[in-house]
Amino acid sequence: MPHTPVYIVCSPRPLVGKTMMARLMSEFLLLKQGAVAAFDINLKEPSLLEYLPAITETAEVDDTFGKMALMDRLIVNDGIAKVIDLGFHAFDEFFKMSDEIGFMKEAARRGVAPVILFVADTDRASARGFAMLQQQIPATAIVVVDNEFVLRGELPPAMAGGRILRIGALPVFLKTYISRLKFSFTDYLRHEKDSSTELHQWIRRNYTSFRELELSLLLQRS
Amino acid sequence: MTKPVVIVVGADKGGVGKTTVSRTLLDYFSANNVPTRAFDTESPRGTLKRFHPDITEIVDMTTTSDQMKIFDTLNSSSPSVTVIDVRAGLLSPALASLRDIGFLDAAKSGQITFAVFHILGPSIASLDEIAETANFMQGAKYFLVKNFINNTSFFEWDQATYNSYFHRIKDATELTIPKLNEMAYEQVEVASVPFLKFVANKGVRDEAANYSFVLRGYVRHWLANVWSEFDRIKLTDLVGSGKLGDRGEK
Repeated sequence: MPHTPVYIVCSPRPLVGKTMMARLMSEFLLLKQGAVAAFDINLKEPSLLEYLPAITETAEVDDTFGKMALMDRLIVNDGIAKVIDLGFHAFDEFFKMSDEIGFMKEAARRGVAPVILFVADTDRASARGFAMLQQQIPATAIVVVDNEFVLRGELPPAMAGGRILRIGALPVFLKTYISRLKFSFTDYLRHEKDSSTELHQWIRRNYTSFRELELSLLLQRS
Repeated sequence: MTKPVVIVVGADKGGVGKTTVSRTLLDYFSANNVPTRAFDTESPRGTLKRFHPDITEIVDMTTTSDQMKIFDTLNSSSPSVTVIDVRAGLLSPALASLRDIGFLDAAKSGQITFAVFHILGPSIASLDEIAETANFMQGAKYFLVKNFINNTSFFEWDQATYNSYFHRIKDATELTIPKLNEMAYEQVEVASVPFLKFVANKGVRDEAANYSFVLRGYVRHWLANVWSEFDRIKLTDLVGSGKLGDRGEK
C-alpha cells in the first residue's frame, strides 16, 4: 500500500505564512486526490478552519487527550493525506511530544510519511527551532519553505542546505485578495479565464512545486 | 550452580509506587532474558500478580509455611532470581524475619545475592526508615529509590539531613524513577498488562490490542529512562555475576 503523507506546516514564529501554506497544500491535495484531512492547531492566528471548514478540524496538544486525538489519527495509513497547520505557540510542545513518543519511527513502520514544512524566518527563535528539528527529524523529511513575502532576501545559511520550497511574493493587493475567507485557490484556477494573470501563475507555480515535492518524496522512498 | 538472587522491594508507607517499581524490575529482567519469579505479599489481593500472573505467587510473609515456600526453594529452584514485593510498612519487619531465619547471614557469607530496593516517600519518616533498614544491610546491596511517578515532591527533605542518612549505609545507591504521564499509567492499569506488553500493543494473552499510540509512546519513553537507571546500577551484573558476598567468602 502506498504511504500516507502527513504535511506539518510549522514555525516557532507567528505571521510567517503558515496558514497560507497550509491552505495551498490542502487545496492542492484536495484537487489531486479528492480527499484531505486538515488539522488546525492555532490559538491566536488566522485559522485554517475559517478558510477550509469542510475539511478542517481543530486539534490541540496542550493536554494528553488532545495529543491522543490528534496523533492517533495521524499514525493511520488510510491513504488520506493530512495537513497540519501548527500554530507557533504549539511548536515546542508538538515536537517534544513527537520525539518522546517516537512518532517518526512509528510512522515509518506503519507506512505514514511525515514531511515537515518549516516556514523559515531570520530570527533566533526560527534558528533554534530549525536546529531542534534537525536533531530530531531525518533531513529527507524536512522541507524549508522560503516565503519570499516574509524573508525578502536570502535564506539563513543553516536552512539553505537541504530541500527548499519557494513561495513567491505577491503584491500587497493580491495578498489581501487571497486573504479573504471565501477565496479558494483551486476555484480561482478553474474560473479565471485569463491564465496569464499574476495570481493564476502564482497558484500554478505553487501547485507544480507541490507536485515536484511529492514526486521527489516518492522517488526517495522507492 | 548459579547463586540465587533475592531482591526485596519495600516501602514504609503505601502509595509511593513500590509495586510499580517491582513491575519495572520484572519487565527489565524479562527483556534481558533473566528467568525470574515473584512473590506478592499483598495477600490476599495481589496487585503484582494482576500484571505478572504467570510468574507471581501471592504469599503471606508472616506465616512460616509461606516463608518456607520462598526461602526453602531458593537453592533448588530455577529461575534463580526472586523478587519479593513487600507489603507497605512491613519492610523492616520483613528484614527482621530474614535475619531471624539466617537469611541475612547467608547473604553476608556470599551464599545468596541479596538486594533491597527501598522506595522512599516524601516525609521525614522515610529517612528514619533508612536508618532502621541500615541495620540489616551488611552483605546486601541497598538501593534508595526516589519515585516521581506519583508526582511526589521530596521538598520536605533538607539536603544535608538526607545526605547524613544516605551516607550511613555503605555502598547505598540512589535511583530515580521519573514521572509517567498519568493517563498512560491509568491505561496500563486498566489493561492489566505488564508495561512491556502495553508498549508492544499486546493484550493479556498476547493478542493484538488497540492501545493509544501516544500513550504507548509515553510508556516506552518512560520505561527506557527507568531501565537506563537499572543499567547504570549494573543490575544484570548483580543477578548474573554474584559479586556481592565475595567479600564474605574471601
